[in-house]
Amino acid sequence: MSKKGVLFPYIYKYKIPYLLGLLTLLIVDYVNLFIPQITGEITDGLAGNTLDLKGVFLLIISLLGCALIITVGRVLWRFFIFGTSRKIERELRNDMFSKLEELSSTFFNTHKTGDLMTHFTNDLEALRNAIGPAVISSFDAVVMTGLVLYKMMVHVDLKLTLLTLIPMSLIAIGGYYFGETFEKKFAEKQEAFANMSDYVQESVTGERVIKAFVQEKIQEQNFRKVNLHNMKKNLEVVKLMATFMPLLDFIIGLSYAITIIYGGYLAITAQITLGRFVAFSQYLGMLVWPMIALGDSITSFSQGRAAIGRIRHIFHEIPDIQDDENTEDIQELKGNISFCHLSFSYGDEYGDVLHDIHLDIQQGETLAILGRCGDGKTTLVNLLLRLYDVTQGEILIDGVNIKKIPLHILRTNIAYVPQDSMLFSDTLAHNIAFGKENATLEEVQEACREACVHENILDFPEGYETVVGERGVTLSGGQKQRCAIARALLKDAPILILDDSLSAVDTDTEDRILENLKAKRHNKTTLIIAHRISTVRNADHILVLDEGKICEYGTFDELMEIQGVFRSMYEKQQLEKQLSEE
Amino acid sequence: MEEKEIQYNGSVFKRLFSYLRPYVREMIVSLLLVLAITGFELLRPILIGNAIDVYIEGYNTPYGVVEKSDLYFEGNYLSKDLSESKTFTQLVMVKDSYYYFEDLTQEESERLYAQSQKGIDVNYVTNDMLVLDDLIGRKMNQEQLSVLRKNDFMGILKIGILYLIVLVLNMIATFVQTMILQKTGQKIIFTIREELFHHVHSLPLRYFDTHPVGRIVTRITNDVESLHEMYANILIRLFRNSIKILGLAVVMLSMDVKLALYSFIMLPIIGVLTYVFKTLSRKIHRKIRTKISALNTFLSENISGMRLIQIFANEDMKYHEFMDKSLDLYRANIQQLTVFAIFRPMIYFLSQVALAIVLYTGGKGVLDTTITIGILYVFINYIANFFEPIQDLAEQFSTLQNAFASAEKIFTVLDEKNTILEKANPTILDEIKGKIEFRNVWFAYENDDYVLKDVSFVIHPGEKVAFVGATGAGKSSILNLIGRYYDIQKGQILIDDVDIQDLSISQLRAAIGQMQQDVFIFTGDIENNITLSNEMIDEETVKTCAHMVNADHFIEQLPNQYHETVSERGSSLSAGQRQLLSFARTLAFDPKILVMDEATANIDTETEHLIQDALETLMKGRTTIMVAHRLSTIQHADNIIVMHKGRIREMGTHQELLQKEGIYKKLYELQLYA
Repeated sequence: MSKKGVLFPYIYKYKIPYLLGLLTLLIVDYVNLFIPQITGEITDGLAGNTLDLKGVFLLIISLLGCALIITVGRVLWRFFIFGTSRKIERELRNDMFSKLEELSSTFFNTHKTGDLMTHFTNDLEALRNAIGPAVISSFDAVVMTGLVLYKMMVHVDLKLTLLTLIPMSLIAIGGYYFGETFEKKFAEKQEAFANMSDYVQESVTGERVIKAFVQEKIQEQNFRKVNLHNMKKNLEVVKLMATFMPLLDFIIGLSYAITIIYGGYLAITAQITLGRFVAFSQYLGMLVWPMIALGDSITSFSQGRAAIGRIRHIFHEIPDIQDDENTEDIQELKGNISFCHLSFSYGDEYGDVLHDIHLDIQQGETLAILGRCGDGKTTLVNLLLRLYDVTQGEILIDGVNIKKIPLHILRTNIAYVPQDSMLFSDTLAHNIAFGKENATLEEVQEACREACVHENILDFPEGYETVVGERGVTLSGGQKQRCAIARALLKDAPILILDDSLSAVDTDTEDRILENLKAKRHNKTTLIIAHRISTVRNADHILVLDEGKICEYGTFDELMEIQGVFRSMYEKQQLEKQLSEE
Repeated sequence: MEEKEIQYNGSVFKRLFSYLRPYVREMIVSLLLVLAITGFELLRPILIGNAIDVYIEGYNTPYGVVEKSDLYFEGNYLSKDLSESKTFTQLVMVKDSYYYFEDLTQEESERLYAQSQKGIDVNYVTNDMLVLDDLIGRKMNQEQLSVLRKNDFMGILKIGILYLIVLVLNMIATFVQTMILQKTGQKIIFTIREELFHHVHSLPLRYFDTHPVGRIVTRITNDVESLHEMYANILIRLFRNSIKILGLAVVMLSMDVKLALYSFIMLPIIGVLTYVFKTLSRKIHRKIRTKISALNTFLSENISGMRLIQIFANEDMKYHEFMDKSLDLYRANIQQLTVFAIFRPMIYFLSQVALAIVLYTGGKGVLDTTITIGILYVFINYIANFFEPIQDLAEQFSTLQNAFASAEKIFTVLDEKNTILEKANPTILDEIKGKIEFRNVWFAYENDDYVLKDVSFVIHPGEKVAFVGATGAGKSSILNLIGRYYDIQKGQILIDDVDIQDLSISQLRAAIGQMQQDVFIFTGDIENNITLSNEMIDEETVKTCAHMVNADHFIEQLPNQYHETVSERGSSLSAGQRQLLSFARTLAFDPKILVMDEATANIDTETEHLIQDALETLMKGRTTIMVAHRLSTIQHADNIIVMHKGRIREMGTHQELLQKEGIYKKLYELQLYA
């Protein structure tokens, strides 16, 4: 697809407002030309004594009539074109978000949130500039220049027009070269500023080291350098601007000087009238803006083009996990899970994270998974959720390979409590009802009771309407975990996964939650990842992972027997408990 | 949200102004230049107006026939000086053509002049002749006119040249003025940045505990930047625009009071409209900022939480939430669009109304012969220029408000007091030997929340002491206090028997080698990270130090060895390598006292070995005080201090403590299982 591919459908959709906008602009530009002409007629008439007060009045009425048309036209094209560009911006924004929702974890692992956000902010902004204001300025510049030149040549004098045009054309040519230099210098300036920011950032972050090594003086000396560099780059831009603006003014003035001398000569020798002389100088003023705008819109277009290029890669990204022709028509799951000789790696160069995992979990069973950090526990559940696809072997649910289960069905049948117990910046009620559409407040409260967080929530000033996150209340780690558990419980799915979700909950509460789980999740499958022995004590089976391999597997009693990793963990935790009770 | 209404605080203004003090001369020159530039700007239409009045319209005064002059036309010498003439000639314009009347008496000439002033109907023209009763004028062609009006053209040429001179002067003045001001602005910004940077680094660590890095960085970078706008542009433009408006008004008034007053009729309306617009657009602008930030927060949260959304199969719901937010922003944008779309054209229309008023009253004046066409030309020109500076002024006032808001934030940082102060004449020891003593030290980071309670111990030069205890027992705080990063509430800390509050802070800190758990890597190369860009440390020393702490192995395997680029974020160094690098750094600075927070990070056995070995080298001949996690490190300590909940619970050697059957014993057993 070409670069136009992404944007074209949107513009095509709005071709009518665009055309109307351009038409209005054309009318405005055309009518605009009458203003100097009318002014000229008035001065002419006055100078030549061919006009009485009534004539002046009539001309002024027509001048105001033109002004009114222009005014209304200018309001209209702003709505037609700027309004449409805003509409397209919004649609692109929505579609881009929707597209992101389709993409899989692999994509988000390789694309930083900050970078993706720039597409929504800077890139869309650049794009909108290109399809809004830049369209106006370029069209206006071209049309206006054409019309004004025509008027100048036909209405006033060809030779005078050509003469005054010599300096004017310097603006367009000079403006183009200046634009290039300016962009370069401006980029350098931005870079110098970014450099300085980075330096300050690092210096403040490293404050402790700087103080420890008494490096404040050296830091200041180095900062002086970046600060000075920043100033130098700023001044270079300033110098350019300080040269350009007066020069521009001078060039425009040069055209006026030509008008005075040559136009004056023409007026003296009756080749043009005084009124036309006056009108000419007004036309000249009308040419200045289009000359500058032309350069600007070229810049906007090229920036817009670059932005489309960047946005395009999102739209063209193909999600690596999605339903395909092999997907079977499955409506519900029971919860029998089998891992069949499963191995997984994030890429050839990383090595296996999981190796030859072979395990069955019966419907209604609770499996606890233990292991050190980085031993593949979370990866295992990620695979079950199909955030990634298995490298070797397969996962079966109710005897069906999960690749054949519709993604939507698979995920609605699994309730999950993430490790970071992330909550959204929203009310607690909304957060907990996240997994179930149209959940009633009673259901939400019931889930919270089971997760032992109901009382805490009632203690908040706004109860269930309390907003969490940056702009609201900060929850403790334990509260967050329990809310995340309530969220998963409300979903009441055949499979429940708790990924280290009780670590910040005290042992008594943990016991109560586990008790509730047992009661509620009769005949449903539960996977618990944990570090604490207390958490896994009552599981039907315990799996100990070590470096991605099954290390120990069995019931609590069986594992205590074998005097292995599990046993030593158990003893260590007993001691820690004693110590903290000291 | 942070954006609050800034009350005009006199002290902020005064303080901002004080930075201008060194540049008084530049400011005065700038102001003078601005005056000149404004003068030039006002002069330009006047020059053209003059050209029209005196020369282009200059045909209608009669010529006198004289003996000799520089104007010779069809057998007569002509002059505009009429004092010596008896016969006259005159040009009369009818419908864009000039007619030449010869051999006029003074009476005839005056009659003709009066008639032409009233206007002559085109019906009087027959066969290129203008017949007015007994007087007949011939139509002049282009060549004839260019001879007849030679002097008019010379006048126009003079004005044209004058105009060019004004242009050049204007260009130079503008350039010089801009450069002076921008340079001044940049220099002030440079100074403020330096002051801020210096000040921030002099603040105690406590400040950094409570202020996020991002905010401090914004103060030094962006906030200062918005001041630049004020110094380099706004102040002078406020002045310039005020002068311009004033100048325009004065010139207009002096040319014609009545016409000037008529031109000003629209001003109050424009003023009120601009005010309403500014208030409205500010409100909408703020609304847009809020909507954007809401959308961005949503985006950042949901992109990072995309996994969760997908797991809960909630894409549709989130999409609808996003659409709502997106729509909110769109609506705010459209509101802004509407306000602008109405305001801008409206101002245009009003300016045209003003033009119409000028044309009408001016036209009437010309017809009454109370004003000239030239003056009307000047007014037509000025009226277009009049509206611009008024709009600008409104713009500049809001920028000024922003600058004030930034200034307040900057000054808040500058006013932050350094709480860890050096004494006026600090004791400077010849050499720090490394004796450390805590005497009944009580310390709290906040209020009465003591993390150290009545802690006392003595460490002799060269001793190795290990602090052990559970998390939060107060071990790390002890390390922080020795370098005086925080001041204690009660008790005394002594180094070589001198209270550290009496010591020079830089000497104290230079004598202490601090090693953190997480090693901070500065952007630069390996060598820079060992020397910390200190030029006193030569390459040879760097290599020796690296070798002594076993860091040379991995460094020499890097593609660029000691010049390999590294940075905090993009670093490819492992935790163990970072540790070794920090050892080399510490060794290069050769401190008398080592303060160490041992890393708990997972380090592979081979590197672990290297680290142990390097530690031995480092500790040789130095007082070492460490928070240790590895049994091997602890066992070899001369003294082990066991902390529990802010107090010292046990003290002694490994063997002594094991016999006590206390906390240490339990910790020891825990380690065995690890």
